[in-house]
Amino acid sequence: MPRYAMVIDQERCVGCQSCTVACKSEWDVPNGFGRTRVRQTGTVGQFPKLSTSFYVSQCNHCDRPTCVPACPTGATYPDQNGVVRVNRALCIGCGSCVAACPYGARYINASLGKVDKCDFCASRLEKGLEPACVTTCPARAKIFGDLENPSSDVFRFAYRDGARRMETANVAIGPNVYYAGKPEHAELALASFAPAPPRTIAPARIWSSLLNKVVYLAVGATFLGQAVAFFHQLSKGEKQFEE
Amino acid sequence: MRKITRRGFLQASSVLAGVTSVGAATAEPRPPAWRGDTRVEQIATNCEMCFWRCGVMAEVADGRVVKLQGNPHHPLTKGQLCARGNAGTQLLYDPDRLKYPLIRTGRRGEGKFRRASWNEALDLFAARLTDLKKKYGSESVAFFPHGVAAGFFGTLMKAFGTPNSAEPAFAQCRGPRDVGYQLTFGRAVNSPEPVDLEEAKAIVLIGSHIGENVFTSQVTNFITGLQRGAKLIVVDPRFSTAASKADHWFPIKPGTDLALLLAWTNVLIAENLYDKEYIDQYATGMKELEAHVTGFTPEWAEPITEISAAQIRETAHLLADAKPAVAIHPGRHVTWYGDDTQRARAMAILTALLGAYGRKGGMFLPTKVKQGRIPLPPFPDSDRGRADGAGTKYPLATEESQGLTQGLVQATINASPYPIKGWVVYGQNILESIPQRQNTLKAIEQLEFMAVVDVLPVEQTSYADLVLPEATYLERYDPPAFVTTAKRPYVAIRQPAIDPLYESKPGWWIAKQMATRLGLDDYFPWKDPDEHLSKLLAPLGVNETELKTLGAVSFEGRPYIADRHEDDGPIFPTQSGKIELVSSVLKDLNFDPLPKFTAVKEPPAGYLRLIYGRAPMHSFSRSQNNSWLDDLMPENQIWINAGVAAKIGIRDGQVVTLENQDGARSLPIAVRATEGIRSDCAYMVHGFGTRAKSLTKAYKKGTSDTDLITRVSIDPIMGATGMRVNFVRVLPADRS
Repeated sequence: MPRYAMVIDQERCVGCQSCTVACKSEWDVPNGFGRTRVRQTGTVGQFPKLSTSFYVSQCNHCDRPTCVPACPTGATYPDQNGVVRVNRALCIGCGSCVAACPYGARYINASLGKVDKCDFCASRLEKGLEPACVTTCPARAKIFGDLENPSSDVFRFAYRDGARRMETANVAIGPNVYYAGKPEHAELALASFAPAPPRTIAPARIWSSLLNKVVYLAVGATFLGQAVAFFHQLSKGEKQFEE
Repeated sequence: MRKITRRGFLQASSVLAGVTSVGAATAEPRPPAWRGDTRVEQIATNCEMCFWRCGVMAEVADGRVVKLQGNPHHPLTKGQLCARGNAGTQLLYDPDRLKYPLIRTGRRGEGKFRRASWNEALDLFAARLTDLKKKYGSESVAFFPHGVAAGFFGTLMKAFGTPNSAEPAFAQCRGPRDVGYQLTFGRAVNSPEPVDLEEAKAIVLIGSHIGENVFTSQVTNFITGLQRGAKLIVVDPRFSTAASKADHWFPIKPGTDLALLLAWTNVLIAENLYDKEYIDQYATGMKELEAHVTGFTPEWAEPITEISAAQIRETAHLLADAKPAVAIHPGRHVTWYGDDTQRARAMAILTALLGAYGRKGGMFLPTKVKQGRIPLPPFPDSDRGRADGAGTKYPLATEESQGLTQGLVQATINASPYPIKGWVVYGQNILESIPQRQNTLKAIEQLEFMAVVDVLPVEQTSYADLVLPEATYLERYDPPAFVTTAKRPYVAIRQPAIDPLYESKPGWWIAKQMATRLGLDDYFPWKDPDEHLSKLLAPLGVNETELKTLGAVSFEGRPYIADRHEDDGPIFPTQSGKIELVSSVLKDLNFDPLPKFTAVKEPPAGYLRLIYGRAPMHSFSRSQNNSWLDDLMPENQIWINAGVAAKIGIRDGQVVTLENQDGARSLPIAVRATEGIRSDCAYMVHGFGTRAKSLTKAYKKGTSDTDLITRVSIDPIMGATGMRVNFVRVLPADRS
């Protein structure tokens, strides 16, 4: 079984946001949100001895994901390749996983009423394509591959070339996005955008989301039933006419 | 239009069809492009979100472009697209687009129009041009084009009989560099720039901010070069993204780059570090150059540039060690101080001393692509000549150059050398691209007729008598690109992914319709774009079906001197056939034949020099109304040194107003107080702060640097407008 991972080479990244927009386009991400985002760290040091870097964030597909146990319906689950995915049929849009993610990698897509996040472009992978953000990157700063494959670039970066994960003493859940480049780049990113300890949301919110969902389902089912009956009738009618 | 189906889509679609109809209940999220139950077709074309023309695959379902991807078959850009390229659909489906021909009913600038049919609009257009020709002569119509489709209008305007055409790409952008390199090597730099970044052992950027200025393949080559170990020297008053990756960042005092270049030259010659064999074989004027730079030591340059002599010397050694694989990027927007051609000359001379022109890791040579000619009748002669001073007052703004926009503005205001009473503006935002906006507005007042052809209702449309809605690059055919400045030269096409929306029409159609109305059909001897394309491709022996499927076809290149064939022509097509370290052309014209440093005017006390540049999410002032790009970067900021900000009591993030030396005020703008800029200048990204209400997303977001560029310093050699000669002070926000 492959173990998919991403390496972001901060030495290569120029912060151009190509990945952000390719992802937005691939996944219809509404304005104001992102399945992946690029932010510049602060500029540190004193003129002219300065340092800055770019931090590309997305779902880390963690080994011990805090979002999975936080999900009350089982919609969020790790697949056999270690990719943390969302089953939209089960998602009630309660936001528990959004609060539980230390990396701010999830958002509620208001028009769907569901949570959305990076799944390494699972549907592209099935077709033998790389994630959209990887393909589009002019700096070739995003490297995708299988950590179980010792000849892969991600293996080399993660296990030999000392790429690091965005972990702290408080948040160490085995993220599978690795940051390569000078150590100072990753440190800057960590200092500017440290992962936040997982939060929980009030159970009342979960219940209200669930309740909403049940109501929609009931209304939907009634409507669907009627529609099916109607079209059934209609097609029967047409057939009779043809005969 | 040739279409290919996404691999395996047919099989997938039958499986998906059932799932899709259930809509929201789909278990696994699917990208929109793969959601539907219709065939997704891929149309290969090239991008126009900027002018690098990256290869695009437009994915079309149900007559709608659902996604843009990079075209993996494109020889230069290899499947990559930047943020803007990925956001092209948001231009196509921008609700603010110009939708119908419009005829002005209100005052100029008021923005009141009535909708007209194409017939009425084109008849009016032709009648007004004919009137102007009768009253004032055909030269009284000036043309302001930009972009590849402008070629069709260029033909129309020349056939009509006006020589007055000017693009900002010359006098507000690349002109000085192209003239400077032409004088030295006999060849302009061109675009894409043939700088061998990926093979370089040392890269020098003078104010060039690759990374913030994103052309996909240039970024790839730049980063690849660095990863392979190239040393990077960045000369920029601001801590740019490129500077953050540099081995040596020189926060140079603005306006003194030429002194640094001369000091490097001095060290290379004085310490005998230059490529003597190359210079002996290929160059003329070495003795004069040697004598010329004797005094320009690093110690001389230190107080001028505020870079230490030791650092200048150290980096000169670095360049010498890397030679000939030294990529000195000639830059792109280089109209800074009015001595820009001379700065470009100094860069070219340095490139020559390092033996880097035509050598691996330096600058490579273009390879010709055999382009078909479409024979046209001769264009009518104009005995009155150009009105903008190109070729006369500014001798090296030659007939082949793209003219002087500000020269046409001045000629219009002064009716000198003769009256200009009609403007045709195509794909160019003249109120943002031409400095001294006050002059442009004054010139518009003198006009009897102004027509604007554009995709979006940019500010000048409100001043036009006639507005024609053009189709976007995704809906039209444009002339193919024959690109010679790539290691493998190529031809790439632009073809429509979908039919034009609303009543918009492609540029070729508008130009051809106008030609018919003006009796100039002989200048458009083809019936449709297919025939036009076939004629241009004829000598190449390219399979047109393949080209339309893949979007581009490349050919063998001979990028280095060692590869050249006889039929590639001379390596250095100057007058002397050699690299002209001393320029014979400049000498004949009584300009300095070797570049000299002259000091620029300092900012008055309390003022900062205004400099400007680009952000990777936007192209000039073209993209600010794009929903996705607006989401990423809705406005610009003014970068001010943190120490300066503290001294004048301005916080990071505080909204301020800028006032320039002439009292011109900006729209409100937020301050980025940072260590990453010198204390004598302020920086903003160009293109924001439009005053066009019709651009509903971009309207008055951020600030326009053009509002503050009320002065320019004109390059006497070729007429470029140096624009970094304005100074601003920071005032509390002016919300009026």
